[in-house]
Amino acid sequence: MNPWNTWKQGFDAWENATAALVETWMKSPLVLGPGGAALAMAMRAKAKRDQGLAQFWAGMGLPTRRDQERMLHAIHQLNSKVIDLEDKLADAEARAAKNAAHG
Amino acid sequence: MLTRLKNLATLHRRAVPPVGATPHAVVHAENKWRLLRYHARPQGLAVAAPVLLVPSLINRHYVLDLTPGKSFAEFLVGQGFDVFCVDWGRPDAEDRHVTFDAIADRALGRALRRVCDLSGQPQAHVLGYCLGGTLTAIHAALHPERVASLCCVAAPIAFAEAGIMRTWLTAPGFDIDALVDGFGLMPAAFLQFSFQMLRPTLGLSKAVHLIDRAWNDKFLDGWLALETWANDNVAIPGEFYRTYVRDLYQRDLLRQGRLLAGGRRVDLGEIRCPLLVVTFTVDAIAPAACCAPLLDLAGSADKRRVEFDGSHVGGMTSSPAAKGLWPQMAGFWMGQESPRGPL
Repeated sequence: MNPWNTWKQGFDAWENATAALVETWMKSPLVLGPGGAALAMAMRAKAKRDQGLAQFWAGMGLPTRRDQERMLHAIHQLNSKVIDLEDKLADAEARAAKNAAHG
Repeated sequence: MLTRLKNLATLHRRAVPPVGATPHAVVHAENKWRLLRYHARPQGLAVAAPVLLVPSLINRHYVLDLTPGKSFAEFLVGQGFDVFCVDWGRPDAEDRHVTFDAIADRALGRALRRVCDLSGQPQAHVLGYCLGGTLTAIHAALHPERVASLCCVAAPIAFAEAGIMRTWLTAPGFDIDALVDGFGLMPAAFLQFSFQMLRPTLGLSKAVHLIDRAWNDKFLDGWLALETWANDNVAIPGEFYRTYVRDLYQRDLLRQGRLLAGGRRVDLGEIRCPLLVVTFTVDAIAPAACCAPLLDLAGSADKRRVEFDGSHVGGMTSSPAAKGLWPQMAGFWMGQESPRGPL
């Protein structure tokens, strides 16, 4: 057996064992609990900061990025509803044509 | 040995093979998502009912059209299918408000409608991969009219069995509302990181495997294409992600028949069309125990399962998949009676 294959077999064994060990840590409440709490805390702080900034700009009478996002989302929703209506119209036209064909 | 060294030394200069290159046209576009229709083979279609491919939202659609010779879409076109694929696109900041209903109910409904209109067929065969499979199962339960058959590949259904992903998402201290309110749009890097954490040594293992097979040009091209796809993650709409994590991962509502979508309760027993469930033997993202319960829950008379040797991605994109799995899927559809009879 060549040295590379021997080394690779050893590596595969090490990798499997290490992955199993890391998985045990990653499932441990001792890791997940503080990790999840830290993530949630950081996200709450970010949301608060964004909210504060938005209030500041709104207080100056300026639209915020969030306002623009809401507006764009509303435009997408309207576009979707227009396509819904077009589909319904096409269905109605198809039904009418079918009825006309049957006399 | 020399070829291996030369290939490794020039890897950074090696051209990435074209991905998502099977000829297609965009037949519908709405917000960021598009519906693609692959050009039919020159000798015409062999199967009347079209096939709609629905990939996950987390990665790009071209995992199903990886690179010429390793493309599931190209394979299906070659078999004479009329193939469509949903490309979910890249959400922008405003898409943080896009809901689970907007995707599972309305977008999939629209895609199926377009597929049927354009193909002139009343129904289509639907394939959902990963999260796309979960969404198609939900849609087929709510709106079975246009679904000729359903094929769910590595699609989580019983989320209580979702392995380490569920352990993380239900861990004490994990607050999905704080996460979504903070991020808005769930960043691709965050999702990528969570996948890497499933097996943190995978990067090293892939590097060793690359050195081992670097003499093989075909392998290198496939590796580069797959790495291109794996690093091309996209963000997920926050509101969608909130429902996905809270109602599916944390509360397991889909299996219990208590999930609400489109204002209706999703009862998987309403799936009556022929059903094929594909699971993979080494799948940390969607373990077989999490996907297979669809067979028990669905009301179909024709239910089949294929358990294929491979991982979540490799199981669907590898050469063994092309030889062993793809023909089984094509056979499943060819065996179905076409809604309008044979062409």
